[in-house]
Amino acid sequence: MTLVQILFLLFGLVTLLASLMVVTSPKLVHAAFWLILALAGVAALFILLEATFLAVVQVVVYIGAIAILIIFAVMLTRRVMHDTGPQVNRSWWVALLVSLVLFGGLVLMLAQVPALAGTPAPLMVDQETLLEDLGRALVDADRYVLPFELASVLLMASMIGAIFVARPPSGSEERSGER
Amino acid sequence: MIPLSWYLILAAAIFCIGVYGVLARRNAVAILMSIELMLNAVNINLVAFWRYMSPGVISGQAFAVMVFAVAASEAAVGLALIISIYRRRFTVAAEEIDMLKW
Amino acid sequence: MNAGDFSTILPLLLVTGWACVLLLVDLFIPRGRKAITAALSALGLLTAIALLLSQFGLEREAFKGMIVVDGFASFLQMVFLLSGLFGIALAYDYVRRQNIERGEYYTLLLFTVAGMMLMAQAGDLIVVFLALEMLSLPLYVLTGIARPRPDSEEAAMKYFLLGAFASGFVIYGVALIYGATASTRLSEIVAVVQAGQAIGGLLLAGMAFILVGLGFKVAAVPFHMWTPDVYQGAPTSVTAFMSVGAKAAGFAALLRVFLVAFPDVAPAWAVVAMWVSAFTMAWGNVAAIAQTNIKRMLAYSSIAHAGYILMALPAAADPAVASDAVGAVLFYLLAYAFTNFGAWAVVLALEKKDGQGLAIEDYAGLGARRPALALAMALFMLSLTGVPPTVGFVAKFYLFRTVLQADLVWLALVGVVTSLISAYYYMRVVVVMYMRQGEPEVRSEGWLNATVLLAGLATFIFGLLPAPLMGLAARAGLLTFLR
Repeated sequence: MTLVQILFLLFGLVTLLASLMVVTSPKLVHAAFWLILALAGVAALFILLEATFLAVVQVVVYIGAIAILIIFAVMLTRRVMHDTGPQVNRSWWVALLVSLVLFGGLVLMLAQVPALAGTPAPLMVDQETLLEDLGRALVDADRYVLPFELASVLLMASMIGAIFVARPPSGSEERSGER
Repeated sequence: MIPLSWYLILAAAIFCIGVYGVLARRNAVAILMSIELMLNAVNINLVAFWRYMSPGVISGQAFAVMVFAVAASEAAVGLALIISIYRRRFTVAAEEIDMLKW
Repeated sequence: MNAGDFSTILPLLLVTGWACVLLLVDLFIPRGRKAITAALSALGLLTAIALLLSQFGLEREAFKGMIVVDGFASFLQMVFLLSGLFGIALAYDYVRRQNIERGEYYTLLLFTVAGMMLMAQAGDLIVVFLALEMLSLPLYVLTGIARPRPDSEEAAMKYFLLGAFASGFVIYGVALIYGATASTRLSEIVAVVQAGQAIGGLLLAGMAFILVGLGFKVAAVPFHMWTPDVYQGAPTSVTAFMSVGAKAAGFAALLRVFLVAFPDVAPAWAVVAMWVSAFTMAWGNVAAIAQTNIKRMLAYSSIAHAGYILMALPAAADPAVASDAVGAVLFYLLAYAFTNFGAWAVVLALEKKDGQGLAIEDYAGLGARRPALALAMALFMLSLTGVPPTVGFVAKFYLFRTVLQADLVWLALVGVVTSLISAYYYMRVVVVMYMRQGEPEVRSEGWLNATVLLAGLATFIFGLLPAPLMGLAARAGLLTFLR
């Protein structure tokens, strides 16, 4: 066992356990904090995979924005989020079965592919060149400028939608003011 | 070094945990968190494939960036919907959500 | 890259840009005069249609194959733009009457249409995924636009959660395929697969995940559970648009991805698609019988129709039939669009403010009260069943024929038998309209009547003279999938 393998097992185990806690934790706030740990574990895995920039993005976007947003939502809706009582529905065992079968199938498939047992060749370029390449690829008209621009349109459309949904319905401002 | 299949199996495990969460949890925010787990599993896959299969081409990382953008937009719309329902009736309707029993 | 690349996405750019401009313009339109926004958005769609017509027949790849323009894309884009126009026409009076008139309705509708158009011409799995999100996210919000009505909000929530779940499956599948072939470009994937360099296990798993995810989007059994609740809860004008546009976009993705990228693994996915199709037809039609609410009934009917359209996928696995099958799907989607918009327009005419008037029983006496409307509804019901002389019959005939050509006799038989079953619940509406006494309260609104008239005429005329439209659809299928 090399050091890298031990690190992988460590981070992988942390991520896995944190993910399990996210879906089983009876308290929603706790689940949100476990989610942050799981996201941080994924960021560590990105570093092991030498995708350092994505690790940073993972921390900034996922932990910094999405997870915090989720925690806000949990806090805002706290009064009605039952922290007691069952957090799973009646057919949770079906869900368990589905995901176990899915996992079993995926592992069987992955174990049978010999090409996946290999280890990677060392990266030929340093991180700065890599980052520069990624930056260029995203704005290069022959590479990823179209998906990049589409993603920006998507973000804008969802922002419009989110603002529209979050705003009190027109005509009811007065009533919501009274509350 | 670490075989590629380790990463893929880890990603598969996280994805399946996410699937379980979506199908089993009753609370809308909890379901949203499970969906985020699924998307993270996708990103582990993408980055691992990039590193092991084609490190010379940046496409895997560019792809992962798109997934970040989509995850952010989904979270924004989803949380807006949840909070809007909450504000109106002081109850998260999705609390009684049973994805398998609609 | 060159200017030619941009010309391929010009209609798409126009709709997207128009949506952005409209968002700003809408700020200056006073509340209560949002009809102007509706007119402006319709104008944008009409301009896009003109643009699309001006470059009809164009065939090329752009952005290194990320965007494909061909007959398939152009035909479907036309369907989406027409759906958008119908969607606006249906919403025009409805949103005012239901007190949910908002300028954003039309902006979000345009964004959805843009996502659908992108889906039609996507040549890269990343673009397929982004298009899927771009059409879904605004639709989630549109579903909940009737807030604070609880059923609309709940429908939006369910639609969002299941939609995001399905997207997760699609993107996981795309990631696996990227791993199997080191590419997301459809044309490159097929080359890698043909060269035997793809990793088989990952490829098959990836296909399965994409099939599941898109199965959710088109509401195929067993991924249909969300459909009745969402269709019932959403404002009816949104449901109408969703049942046509979102479904067609899902099938656009299914056909494009599976026929262009994975023709060499066809036996694997054809079997799955075949069973899914059979179960969808059977379950959709049987469950529809038990419904008493017309929106739920039409929701199950739309599930059943997803099953019919899905029949073309296993048929298209046979290379000799592929282009015919695609042509049949294109024609079916257009026929379904006309018929379904017509039927939903009639539903809108009878819906009352508080969500009443949606039971099938409420249609009693429509035949005496509004003979023309009842006649149109009868025509739409016949067309959905697949009885001549309607366009629905021609579409089904054409589709079943390609299925038979592919030697899937039992699947075609399932189709015929389930169509007979469906006659029961479609004809029940007709019977209630004409045979029962009642005093239905019916709206008569300009754009609603125009939609019913237009859809009725299209359903009837293309039922009698399908040749030109069918030729167009067949050519669109031929251009793309006969290589």
